[in-house]
Amino acid sequence: MIRRITLVLMLVIIFGVFVLSMIDLQSLYNTSGKDYFFANGVFETGSLNLVTGIYLDYRLFDSLFEAGILIVAVSGVMWISQHEIEEKNATFMFDKQKTPNLFVTFSRLVYPLMLGFGIYVIVNGHVSPGGGFQGGAIVATAILILYYIDINKTTDVAKILTIEKILFILIVLIGSVGLITRGEVFTNFFTLSTSTNLKSIYLIALNILIGTKVALGMVAIFTAFLKEGR
Amino acid sequence: MSPILTFIVILVGLYGLATSKNIIKSVFCVTIIEAGVILLFLNLGNLEGGSIPILDGIVENIVDPLPQALMITTIVIGATITALALMLCIKIFHHYGSIEWKEVLGKEEK
Repeated sequence: MIRRITLVLMLVIIFGVFVLSMIDLQSLYNTSGKDYFFANGVFETGSLNLVTGIYLDYRLFDSLFEAGILIVAVSGVMWISQHEIEEKNATFMFDKQKTPNLFVTFSRLVYPLMLGFGIYVIVNGHVSPGGGFQGGAIVATAILILYYIDINKTTDVAKILTIEKILFILIVLIGSVGLITRGEVFTNFFTLSTSTNLKSIYLIALNILIGTKVALGMVAIFTAFLKEGR
Repeated sequence: MSPILTFIVILVGLYGLATSKNIIKSVFCVTIIEAGVILLFLNLGNLEGGSIPILDGIVENIVDPLPQALMITTIVIGATITALALMLCIKIFHHYGSIEWKEVLGKEEK
């Protein structure tokens, strides 16, 4: 009982400190950054979608480490989930309970639509809502439906991890090309004076790489969990 | 006002983290804290009646794009961290035969 009261008191103290800091919000947060992005964002990044412009140009360094954390987490899940018993694929989980035929039929109908929508979101990430991370998650969901359509589907997780490593190196390399053309690292490699259409080549390329990477990572994690279903 | 409300979500997660007896519930509490952080940041950049930060056509009064760009990163990292934690839970269950904190901490290493 005393521990609960102490805990609640501590939480109230944390809440009080937060409220005190929020009173003077103007000193913590102002709109100057937003105004800068609004005035110069499209010209400097070539992206109509300012969010994509920020995470692929101004803050590519952040996105790089985010992709790195994805690789580390996926390889961590793979390493933790390895066990001595050799299992070929996910069949042993689904043969216990048969998937309903209605579900299989509708999965077949929905699968191409989901895949197409995911690719659309990835490729149009710089002009409309979306981008590599979101589209990658949609594509991963579409690929996971294949497990319900075809029970005997096998996924080679080690190969997925190798592809992910290659993609990560490719993202770093594309980010570093700017060092030669512009003298700056981790930014658009086209110079500032080129047209917006030309600059979007860089954005589309990085969005596709990040989208593939996120999709493969999600598929690898899901496969690892399926293999645990003993 | 709404940033303070979202901070209450974070506090609920902290309280659950300190009091939950089940490992999986602790993982859920981490997810709740993460949701609170995402809501807090999006609220800071929010603007009443503002439009989305896509400069297609004539747009004025956009919301701040920077918190949104940061929160994309947070969501993806949160998903992977939750997957890693749940995988650890499965391994703990196979090893100790239980996912209650009390029983797992009480048992000696085999």
